[in-house]
Amino acid sequence: MSDPTPAVSIENLTKVYPIPLRRKQLVAVRDLSLQVQPGQVYGLLGPNGSGKSTTLKIVLGLVRPTSGATKIFGSDSSEVESREQVGFLPENPYFYKYLTGEETLRFFGRICLLGGRALQDRIDELLALVGLEHARDRRLGGYSKGMLQRIGLAQALIQKPRLVVLDEPTAGVDPAGSREIRDLILDLKKQGIAVLLSSHLLAQVQEICDRVGILSRGRLVREGRLEDLISIENQTEILLEDAPPELLADIRALVEKSSGKLRDIRKPQTTLERLFLESTESSSLGNPVESTSNDRKS
Amino acid sequence: MNAAPDPAAPPSHPAHRGFSPSRIAAIARNTLTELIRLKVFYFLLLFALLIIGNSAFMLRFSFQEEFQVLKDVSLGAMSIFTSLLAIVATAMLLPKDVEDRTLYTILAKPVPRFEYLAGKLGGVLVLLFIATLLMSVLFVAVLFIREKWVIAEILREAGGTPNEQALEMIANVKKSAFSGALVPGIAIIYLKACLLSALTLFVSTFASSSIFTIIVVVAVYFVGHLQATAREYWLAAGANVSWITKGFLAMVSLIFPDLQMFNLVDDIVAGNDIALGLFLRTSGLGLLYVGVYLLAAHFIFSAKEL
Repeated sequence: MSDPTPAVSIENLTKVYPIPLRRKQLVAVRDLSLQVQPGQVYGLLGPNGSGKSTTLKIVLGLVRPTSGATKIFGSDSSEVESREQVGFLPENPYFYKYLTGEETLRFFGRICLLGGRALQDRIDELLALVGLEHARDRRLGGYSKGMLQRIGLAQALIQKPRLVVLDEPTAGVDPAGSREIRDLILDLKKQGIAVLLSSHLLAQVQEICDRVGILSRGRLVREGRLEDLISIENQTEILLEDAPPELLADIRALVEKSSGKLRDIRKPQTTLERLFLESTESSSLGNPVESTSNDRKS
Repeated sequence: MNAAPDPAAPPSHPAHRGFSPSRIAAIARNTLTELIRLKVFYFLLLFALLIIGNSAFMLRFSFQEEFQVLKDVSLGAMSIFTSLLAIVATAMLLPKDVEDRTLYTILAKPVPRFEYLAGKLGGVLVLLFIATLLMSVLFVAVLFIREKWVIAEILREAGGTPNEQALEMIANVKKSAFSGALVPGIAIIYLKACLLSALTLFVSTFASSSIFTIIVVVAVYFVGHLQATAREYWLAAGANVSWITKGFLAMVSLIFPDLQMFNLVDDIVAGNDIALGLFLRTSGLGLLYVGVYLLAAHFIFSAKEL
């Protein structure tokens, strides 16, 4: 039976920052309520300055709320104890440049009171999971942006948390690195780990999130299951493969006879990201790059 | 047979420990690694050049003068170098962790803020201990080599068979070179650096940058050295001292550490022993300052929004 306690519970959260010299106040988050269930991937969306990072920091106990409450698996998130269950990857992390990948994980393991064989096994496991075994002895100063994000994700998972909080996990990462991180997030979901992430890369969020909340100027303006939010109720999409022109003509005729309207018949397009990944992967294998995609099949 | 793990089952976690010396040790070890890999020990080369150069320059002095100047310069340099190292190394720790967002990843783990601060301070104190030890070894080595050199010179002048006068001179050389006061004197220099490190950590919890922290602590350093002199000067005026002046002096004494109390170099150079009572009192005061500054840093840092 699944755990009924929400992984994250935010109730009527408000955060106000005073601006002393101007005698003004900045409301970063206003009366926010939401829940993230165990095993769910929740995307917190919004433009820059909409309150996403502040919300995450309050969930992690780094910032105190002005009013309202945040809980992690039922524990008040201002309590240090609640963070036994949490892993966090901040936006554009640098970590300690002078440590190697393995030393970084060992440090984070030790502050979670792991040690000995169990810690070494966990380090090996995580380096394999994020594909950094080859760079385990290299200092982080020599890591690429994508590698830093991956070692960041590994440190977030070191103590086997039940909740992972990711602040812009793919910011500044190239499409290939971005896809790897996305696959890792989907792996976490399969393991039953709840993921709360903030992003403004909407296409990626759409691919991985079960539920989203959209913040605007600190307010939650839309919230719900992704499918419910983005489906257009009065339209239907039929995707055909190798359809002869006669079949398409028949479909047109059928639609004209009915009360429905035919909006469009077109060839589906691949995404620019997929095109990029296919091109770079084939080029790295020494294959010639296609000059057009007219005959591309999705 | 191994049972297949249930991926949805919550992983087992050890019960949270409210206070853990292991966590502090992990942060301290990491801080020490950071400072060592930042090559802060390069300043020791400067120290080595200073005392070796100083030693060569003093060949023209009598041996008593030579050892006095060598001890004066070396202990003075040791005090300044450890103080500078304490201030500069500590001042950059917190701002760097904030800038690199490492602070967030550490505090998002089950690490109480006090343990983070204690670990950072612990790392610097170990670094200062190693630096003080290395400087002491270098200083004692130079002192030892000079002593052997002077004794060899006396024996050579005595024609190889030391007479009574030569033996007396050798005894004087040994007395001038090494004294029992060296060890407590160096210990107090280390404690003064620890105090400055704790003070720097405290300032960095509310300072906006490393530069600001360094400027504030260097200002406190000078006030801390001058306040005893100023207090003695004003109090010597006796009945003319107003209650405002007395109140101001009391406030200065409370806020700024009296760093002059940690200056025992003059006694050591003069060949005087450091009384056990004075050593214990000074050590106790140093440790008290470290504790008070660490608690004050915790008080501000625990309320800080990151």
